[in-house]
Amino acid sequence: MTSNLELPVFTNNSEAELGGKWGMVVDRDLCTGCQACVAACSMENNVPFVGETDMAYGRGMHWIRVERLWEGLEADYQEVKMTSYQPLMCQQCHNAPCEPVCPVYAAVHSMSEDINLQVYNRCVGTRYCANNCPYQARVFNWRDYTDYRPGNTADNDPSWSVLQNHLNPDVTVRRRGVMEKCTFCIQRIHKAEDTAKSEGRDVRDGEVVPACAQACPANAITFGRIDDPESMVSKAAETSRGSLLLEEMRTQPRVTYLAGGA
Amino acid sequence: MIKKLFEWLLSPMGRVAVLIGALSVFSLAAYGIYTTQQPPEQPIAFRHDIHVNLGVQCLYCHPGALRGASPGLPTQNKCWGCHQQIAKTNTSPRLAVLKDYVQNNKPVQWVPVAQVPDFVHFKHRPHIAAGLNCETCHGDMSKVEIAENPQVMNMGWCLNCHRDRTADNVQNNPDNDPGVSALLHEKRTKLTDCGTCHY
Repeated sequence: MTSNLELPVFTNNSEAELGGKWGMVVDRDLCTGCQACVAACSMENNVPFVGETDMAYGRGMHWIRVERLWEGLEADYQEVKMTSYQPLMCQQCHNAPCEPVCPVYAAVHSMSEDINLQVYNRCVGTRYCANNCPYQARVFNWRDYTDYRPGNTADNDPSWSVLQNHLNPDVTVRRRGVMEKCTFCIQRIHKAEDTAKSEGRDVRDGEVVPACAQACPANAITFGRIDDPESMVSKAAETSRGSLLLEEMRTQPRVTYLAGGA
Repeated sequence: MIKKLFEWLLSPMGRVAVLIGALSVFSLAAYGIYTTQQPPEQPIAFRHDIHVNLGVQCLYCHPGALRGASPGLPTQNKCWGCHQQIAKTNTSPRLAVLKDYVQNNKPVQWVPVAQVPDFVHFKHRPHIAAGLNCETCHGDMSKVEIAENPQVMNMGWCLNCHRDRTADNVQNNPDNDPGVSALLHEKRTKLTDCGTCHY
């Protein structure tokens, strides 16, 4: 019996298309581990606070987290040199392990922006993508953390919380049972593209600033077009200090980490 | 007991009862569907047809559509800008509602009729810039009394238009120009991308 169904074929065309579009550079030597990026990201993207209990269950929700890497602890405490910090978010892999495992195509690759997407309204919450992500960048909504009922205001619903005013209208409020992750602040990318188009020009270098990069007091995060060799992010990524996380897995992440002094 | 019930249902009286029951279920369902298709009640019974036929442009009251994501709904001050110069405003009982809003400085809480779900991020500006007219999606408002939505605004409807307007066919690319073809392909990639609307 033959079928007419056209199933998508997942191929590794990574060697052929190394270009990419949007990319990020994180300078680990500049990062002080202040967590400003974490706070800014949660505010910008309506990432909920899960509370102590759920956090203890390992259900904390952050699109970006600051990993601490202790160096020089093997001898004794006098030998402690420094703590190295590594802000880690979705690496927007070109060859993403999360995408082929989604049974409902909710984790798809954006062909126009060349980043990974999570389509919230398609997601059924199997959590395969998070289990297959080598960077553990995806987080799952175990509950309805935001009491969000469209159309309700403080006037007609006493249980309505004033805190809902902090929600960013440009980003969907996710509901229970939906996977989510860093989007490279795609709402800001769209806004900049929209403005540029209305003014009849291309998006300028440095026009799109994700919330984490905007909040970083040390300017450790740079964002821009990696297909433009003249952009700040391309020049920063070219230095010999750059490395990709789990490069040997051939996921081709779009985030470059700089470390190792000037 | 059950057998008795079946026998009664087969009698003429029983058949009439079954018919009445089926009819009431059907009419309730029909009424339910009918109520979902009614335009919502507005705080002011604003007549779109009168204003459009008087020559008021859509963008006069909904100016955000030209440059922004949301077209916006007019405040009572926008209404008053014209209506304070019109003698009928003081006499008409329908316009007394507007006068009440203005004099008490109450905001008019219009009920939007053309809405998309929370997980869809629709922007008006690119659609106006692409040369679409308001009536392409919102219907001819010169024939509509109280604002209503003429379309089922779902994703298939959006994508049909996006695909039609970026198809590499005779209509969009009459000269079969490879440059136009590449541009259409790029547009199609962008306009059928999940991340363009869902984020």
